[in-house]
This record gives sequence, C-alpha cells and structure tokens, in this order.
Amino acid sequence: MPLIQLDDPDATLAMLRDSLAALAAEADGPATFRRRRAAGADLDPQVWRALAEAGFLALPLPEDMGGLALGRPELTVAAEALGRSLITEPYATLAVFPGTLLAALPPDEHLRDLAAGLGRGEAILPVLWQDARGRRAPLALTDDLLTGTAHLVAGASSATGFLVLAAEGGEPVLIHLPASAPGLRVVARPGIDGATLASVSLHDVPAGRVLARGAALETALTQAITTTRLALAAELAGIGARALEITVDYTANRVQFGKTIASFQAIQHRLVDMWAEAEFACSACLNAATAPEGEVAQAVLAAKARAGDSATAITRKAIQLHGAMGFTDQCDIGLYLKRAIALNATLGQPEELRLAFLSAERAA
Amino acid sequence: MLTQAMPEQQDWNALTDAEFRAIFRDWVDRTCPAHLRFMRKQRPVFDEVAEWYHALARKGWLSPVWPQEWGGMGLNAAKHIVYVEEWARLGCPRIPDHGIGLTGPLLIEFGTEEQKAHFLPRILSGEHVWCQGYSEPNAGSDLASLRTSAVRDGDEFVINGQKIWTTLAHCANWILLLARTDKEAAKPQNGITVLLVDLTSPGVVVRTIPNLREEADFCEVFFDNVRVPAKNVVGEVNAGWALAKAVLGHERIFLGAPSRPEYALKRLELLAEDRGAFGDAAFRSRYAKLRLDLYDLGSAFERFAKVLREGGTLGADVSVLKLFCTELYQRITEETLAVAGEEARFYDDLPLGDGGHVDAMNLFLDARAPAIFGGSNEIQRNILAKAVLGLPSR
Repeated sequence: MPLIQLDDPDATLAMLRDSLAALAAEADGPATFRRRRAAGADLDPQVWRALAEAGFLALPLPEDMGGLALGRPELTVAAEALGRSLITEPYATLAVFPGTLLAALPPDEHLRDLAAGLGRGEAILPVLWQDARGRRAPLALTDDLLTGTAHLVAGASSATGFLVLAAEGGEPVLIHLPASAPGLRVVARPGIDGATLASVSLHDVPAGRVLARGAALETALTQAITTTRLALAAELAGIGARALEITVDYTANRVQFGKTIASFQAIQHRLVDMWAEAEFACSACLNAATAPEGEVAQAVLAAKARAGDSATAITRKAIQLHGAMGFTDQCDIGLYLKRAIALNATLGQPEELRLAFLSAERAA
Repeated sequence: MLTQAMPEQQDWNALTDAEFRAIFRDWVDRTCPAHLRFMRKQRPVFDEVAEWYHALARKGWLSPVWPQEWGGMGLNAAKHIVYVEEWARLGCPRIPDHGIGLTGPLLIEFGTEEQKAHFLPRILSGEHVWCQGYSEPNAGSDLASLRTSAVRDGDEFVINGQKIWTTLAHCANWILLLARTDKEAAKPQNGITVLLVDLTSPGVVVRTIPNLREEADFCEVFFDNVRVPAKNVVGEVNAGWALAKAVLGHERIFLGAPSRPEYALKRLELLAEDRGAFGDAAFRSRYAKLRLDLYDLGSAFERFAKVLREGGTLGADVSVLKLFCTELYQRITEETLAVAGEEARFYDDLPLGDGGHVDAMNLFLDARAPAIFGGSNEIQRNILAKAVLGLPSR
C-alpha cells in the first residue's frame, strides 16, 4: 500500500514510524478527535504532551534550540505517520510553522529559549499573521502599540504567547507577545477537524520584544511556509493512503447480492483510481523531501497541491463506497475526510499552489 | 561479422549514468539525421528510417539490452532508461523495433542456440523485420482465447487463421506468432505455442488498416495453410503463454515514460503563446493543472526508476504510470484542440506567427492509441485490483 518510500540507511525513519505508532496506540486519534471536538478545544493537552515527549515537536529545530536537527525526510515521515494515525493535533501550524520560523531567524538567547520551550511542549506560540482569507493580516505596530486582528489562528486558547507579524512603517517586524497581554481578545470558532480556530484582536497592546525585522524576517517566513507545506503534504499523503486501506477492507467484507462489493468491477476500478491518487501523492512527497535545495520550493508547491487533491478526492470517494455507514458520524472514515479538507485548505489550496508554481516557472 | 559491427562496445554499466548519457547523447545528436527528428509520424516504416537503423547497427547500439555476445549493448535497466530518455529528448524516430524489443529478447531467453545464431544477426542487419502476431478479431483483451491454429504435420506446422492490429506487418518479413496447438486444453492458456513465421511463405496475406490518423501502421494478417518448419517453435509446444508474458520485464516502465505528454505539453505551450491564451485566467488554471500533472508523473516515474537503478525488480504497481501517463497525454491534446478554437476543424498542422507549426489534431488522434495498446487501461485496472489491492473475485 502507498507509502513515501524514502531511503533509510541508518533506520532513523523506521524509528520515527515505530515511535509514532506506539504513541498512536495510546492516544487513539479518532477518539481524541471526538473528545476535543466535544470540549470545543483547540488541542488535546495530553496528546500534545505525548508528541513533545516523543520528540516530534522539537524535530524541525536545530540542536542549539534543543532540537534534533533532523531534515526534510524525517519531517516528511513524521507528518505522514501522523496522517495515517489520524492524530489531528495542529502539528504543522503549531509545531512546524513557529518552530521553523524561529529557527530561520538570526539567533539570539531569547529566541533560543522560546524555540526550546516550543520543542518541549511548554510554550504554545501561534503565529498571528493571516487575515480571514489567509492573506497577510493588517497588524500594525505604531508607537510600540500593536493593533489589528488576525484570523485562522490554531491553538489560540491554549497559547502561552503569540508571534505577531506586524508592519511598522513599511517594514515587517516579528514580536513575541505573552498570552496575558492586556487588550488581547480571542474569539474561537469550531473548525471542521474538531479543533477550534480563532480570531485574535489586538487593541493598543503594548508590544513585547521584537524578535526580527526586515528582509531577514521575510526570508525566514518564506522558508517556514515551504517547510510547513511539506509537513502538510506528507500528512495529507498519510491520510489518503490510510483512508484507501480502510475502504479496501470495508468493501472486501461488505456483502451484497451474495458477493463482497469489492468483487464488482465498478468498485474495483474506483479503488484502483483511489490507489493511483495515493501513489502519486506519495511520490510527489518523496520528490519534495529529497529535491536539491534550489528545487525545493517548486517541489513542495507540487507536493502540497497533489497530496491535497489526492487526500480530499480519496476520502470523498471513500464516503461513497462506505454507503450510508459513511454518512454517519460514528464511522471514522468521515473524520479522515474532515481532516483532509482542513489540511488541504491550510497554506494554500491546490489551485493557488499550482498557479504559484506556474508563475515561478514562467518567470524563470 | 558481429565484431566488425560493434567497434564501440565496452562495459557501459561500469560508467555512471551521467557519463553514459553524455557519450550516448553526443553520438546520437551527431548521427541521427535532422529530417528524422521529431517526425510527425509516430510509426514510420522501415525504409523511411533505414539509414538511422543501419547507423545504430554499425555502431553496435541498435539493441540496448541484448547481451554483448549477441551484438547488444548489454545495458542494465538504469542505463536503458538513460538510452530511452535521450532518444526521446533528441526526437529520434521510432524504428520498427519488434525484432529488437520482442523477438530478440524472447530468443535470447528461450530460443535454441541454432535459432539465436540464425535470427539475431539478421535482426541487427535489418534483413529480418519483425512484427507481433498476437491479437485476433475475437481475442484482444482476452488474448488467451485466440484461435489461429497450428497443426503438426511431420516436420512442419500448418497455420490457419487471422491476426489483427499487427503493427507494421506490411513492412515486415517475419512474424512472431501466438497460435493454438491444443484446442482441448483445460485452460485456454495451456494450448498456445510461439512460432517464428516467414511472412513471405505461400498462404500469407497482409492487408493494411487505415487508422484514425489516416495512416497505415497496423494490419491484418491472414494464414491459409501456411507451412512452418517445426524447428521454428520457440520453447515447448503448448507452453507459449508464459513466454509471451515473460519478455516485458523492466520495460513495462517505458509505457509510462513522460516523453509523449512532455512533447505534447510543449506543443500546447507554443500554441497557447501564439494565440495569447496565457492571458486567460481559465486557461492558465487548466494549463497549470496539466503542467503539474506532468511534473508529478516525473516524480512517480523517478520512484520506479530508482527501484531499477538499485537492482530491484518492478511489481505490478508500475502500471500506475501507464494509466496516468496515457490519460494525461489525452487530456493535454484535448486542451490543445480547445485552444485551437475554430481551427480545430482542420486536419493539418496549425501555423504559428513565427513560421512554426503545431500538429494539434495529429497529437489528439495519436493520443487515443496508448490508452488502448499494451493492455488497455481498463485491463490494467483489473490487474491492479487483483495484484496490488488484492480485491476479492467473489
């Protein structure tokens, strides 16, 4: 069955997969999804702690930030394994994104401490930077006061602090704000994947420490977006592959007209097409995980687009092949669909990513 | 004779892929005649490409995978991929290759020493041009139901029946024939024999069948009491089915090689530039999808190529490339006709402002075929359902 077939000469990747399988056996992804959803929470503290203890939160951080200094292949495998197990904590947006953003900035002591806390799961640091439609939010820093509203924020209710991307004059600045800062208001809405997303409004909030500014910050942000998209792509590839397996099992056991429904050619051809979607998502992720440095940006755009299309298509078809059972909340397959939709919509849907790929290629 | 024909042999597999690529490309680029590059015709007949065929044979580079003792290059799968990639990149024409790709490998693996010594040099010299006699009017996807019969009569077999979709039979003089030698076999697969048949034998009639592109690259071949020496049986009598299925090996990867859709997308890009289509947001969106599908096909192809480079063998799952590649080729050529607008009513090539042309209709029609041949895409899905997904039959 489809898997991202990375070389694993020293068995690091196998170790990561085993470690996550052990964690998933404890955490029970679908049950956690439902529990978190019922609680109206933005993450499950127990699972988040388990991810920290297993080293997954520190995985993208360099060693001097308490990280494991692992590369794209390791991140890819970790995220794929999360997807397969339906561990639906906001790993990409709340561990990979702020982690790689901090790691890509010119380092200082404070920054190292922040990142190390993130890796240990003690600090939860959502980045405030998007408006309601995912564009750059109009957050402004004027006379050391922050004003504006950020949307689509994962982990806002659990946050210990925020990384605020604001504009001062024409220049971007990144500010670390404690969650307790006065004038800060969080409004949460339920997300489709059982975790809330919030709008965070700032009204004349006294700015905390400026972590970075200018071109260095823009470069770091671009790098963080690319790495996070890779994690999202791999997680989507894992979701698609696992949803396919579940559907193959279901149709091979469901009997109608005296035969298993998987014995019907119409069903077989649909399953083969779903398998092909999953295979292509995996090979696109493999390509993005191993592309030479200069080709990573394009390879990641392609992988996120492919894996997003693939996971959403596979899970939609999986619902159909589960029949009425697939339309129940009780059946796990629906959770795979909802998670796939959420990750596909995060940091660019396939259409937008493909157009970005094309623009970059035609400009070259 | 063979030693003279191959002055350039060495252990190609000892080179890096990049070294081999450079050597091969350099010679091919200097040697393949310009008027044969990027031919409009997909399946030129032997005479049209004879000079290129003979140049390859003189160099000893006509048969990439045959062992060197039989005049081949002895390339492993990794080097063979380089060979095929460079061939496509430089726009070299397809040569009538059933002798090199089908009969040769079959004889090398299953033929007698006498058969090898007689037939292999004649393939390299171009004296024998082969075609593949498998499909019949009532045995296409269900090939094992074939009925063309071979009946033993002393030292000979007597052939009666009809083959169809026999590509380039009209310019071939030998046919690799699958014939029924046992009508009573418990399973139809167990009564089939492979025979080497001289098409100039009395009783053989070849007729061309014009295809959608209004060209004659496939044929029907009729056999009326055609007598074939029994020594022309390959392998055992009634054991031909396994032989016919054995020869493809790693070459199944080439059914999914990105070169055709890559070429077609380049033509679409040229036409779209010329007609200003990139200014249209809807077109840009559709084009981006096709471009990324091609890019991702490259990533998928690379995953399977890597298995071969590392000395592995391919499983049934490699045909995912064939499905995706052939269907992508179709979609690209459909989009090209859409960009052609009212001009999609023309059969001939569409002129560009810079004096060039785009063969929009030619490619659209050509793209219908690959999803059918080499095992139709529907048959591929049946096989994948069983072999890869393990789906039940009841």
